[in-house]
Amino acid sequence: MSSASIVEDRGLRAWWSRSERKVVPYVFISPFYLLFIVFSVGPLVYALYLSLHRWPGSGPMRHVGLGNYTYLASDPVFLKSLWNTVYYAVGAFLFILPLALVLALLINSTLIRIKSLFRIGYFLPILTSTVAATIMFLLIFNNEFGLINQGLASLGIPALKWLDEELVKISVLAVVTWRYTGINVLYFLTGLQSIPPELYEAAQVDGAGTWAQFRYITLPQLRPIALFVGVVTMIGSFQLFAEPMLLANGGPNDASLTIANYLYRMGFTNAKLGYGSAIGWVLALIIFGLSFIQLYLFGAFRKED
Amino acid sequence: MDDTLSRRAQRTIAYGFLFFILISMATPFVWMISNTFKEQSQIFERQPTLIPEEPHLRNYVSLFVDFDFHKHFLNSAFIAVVHTFSHLFLASLAGFAFAKYNFPLKNFLFLVLLGSMMVPLYTIFIPLFVLVIRLGLVNSYAGVIIPGVAAAFGIFFMKQSMEAVPGELLDSARIDGASEFRIYWQIALPLVRPALAVLAVLAFMGSWNDFVWPLVVLRSRELQTLPVVMAGMVSLYRMEYGVVMAASLLSTLPILLLFLALQKQFVQGLTVGAVKS
Repeated sequence: MSSASIVEDRGLRAWWSRSERKVVPYVFISPFYLLFIVFSVGPLVYALYLSLHRWPGSGPMRHVGLGNYTYLASDPVFLKSLWNTVYYAVGAFLFILPLALVLALLINSTLIRIKSLFRIGYFLPILTSTVAATIMFLLIFNNEFGLINQGLASLGIPALKWLDEELVKISVLAVVTWRYTGINVLYFLTGLQSIPPELYEAAQVDGAGTWAQFRYITLPQLRPIALFVGVVTMIGSFQLFAEPMLLANGGPNDASLTIANYLYRMGFTNAKLGYGSAIGWVLALIIFGLSFIQLYLFGAFRKED
Repeated sequence: MDDTLSRRAQRTIAYGFLFFILISMATPFVWMISNTFKEQSQIFERQPTLIPEEPHLRNYVSLFVDFDFHKHFLNSAFIAVVHTFSHLFLASLAGFAFAKYNFPLKNFLFLVLLGSMMVPLYTIFIPLFVLVIRLGLVNSYAGVIIPGVAAAFGIFFMKQSMEAVPGELLDSARIDGASEFRIYWQIALPLVRPALAVLAVLAFMGSWNDFVWPLVVLRSRELQTLPVVMAGMVSLYRMEYGVVMAASLLSTLPILLLFLALQKQFVQGLTVGAVKS
């Protein structure tokens, strides 16, 4: 090693020992930001660019302005998938959340002693993959030999076509309810257990009944957890994919198709990458908009008073 | 007297309802297990039988012989393990930096990090796929693992627990001349082991069960993970129900076993978002 490089080396070392603590945190966090820029921000911007073009995945792109978006607004299949997705989201709010809240309240109440059996039992479905979960339900909902129809038959009730146009959305909702109720029970239980018991004691001293305690203590105290559960449920519902795809392949006649299914069909099956990207941006705007509304309704933006 | 009776009635109703839901939830799972031991013709029978008359293991044999289940199982395991370790490393390193250093733009950068969790997967789905093709990562495990390896949630989670590491410990190591990386690796990391376990369970399960992204990235069958292969078995024209059910059951077993071993970490991991809100 030449003397010059030794001097340089010393200089570098001295510089490093002086500034290590200033530089190191940036080095430690840089992998996330590099990956985030390359694999999220870049694609997000590129999706916007693609959505203004017509492109089959190779060859030249053709600029179409907002053409993809105006076409979306009148595309009957997209509108159907939008309606289906809203149906699933509303269904999740009407089925899963009230059921989960009731189950959590019961488990948390003094009536029930063997709490962990239920807590753990309800929780198990979330451990399955969406694929495995949906596959199980193929045996439950099959029009000919499904368990439900066999059960109905033994009661002398004619079979229902669970995977036909009229009922398929209900069947998808059943799979979703099966998989996600338990995790929401856990969320609500966490919320219930964080309510200070003094509140109930004080209310009992004041002579408040069970219903009054629920209405004026439990519900208001559950507000933060309800907001969290609401936002998570909404975001999850709008990104449903595997359940309708595996249960009925989005059909019959697109009756179970979600926005994510349609995006996949356009982008990957039909090689309409521009149109698919436009669907993706519409989906993002819906999710942002609904999250904002939920946060606003729950007063997350209100100043502490 | 009247009061205790009504309380007993309440208790009966409460237990009745809880057990009804529990049994309803267990039914699909039990029914799936039962059907893995049945012949296709028995599955199609109109009379449901919980315990098959002549139980056999042909479905399981076919799963390994005709569908190479073990290979796809190993693919899933490999991806999940690599993802979990890389994610733990990157998340704890960044979490350590956010918890234990002050640096310009820290708050802004942390806000960006939180904001990154808002980007919906499907919005970036198509361009991300184009990018992965351009990078030559399509049909490779790198293409499956790299885009999601530094997910913000893990950093956020590790920051919380790194904050509890006492600063004096780090300072005394600095006086002894340890490098900052060594301080992270040898002092901070061992102290947050419980949090690492929780995050490991979450990361492993997320990767093991992941479906949509591996579905588009892994084109050739030899590379595909369990959920992708299972989904392919469903869309076959003539589906072997017993075999598909066996695949579904066996693919769920590792997570179930992991859960039985690490129940606390699972529950903590899956509710951590709710607690932090």
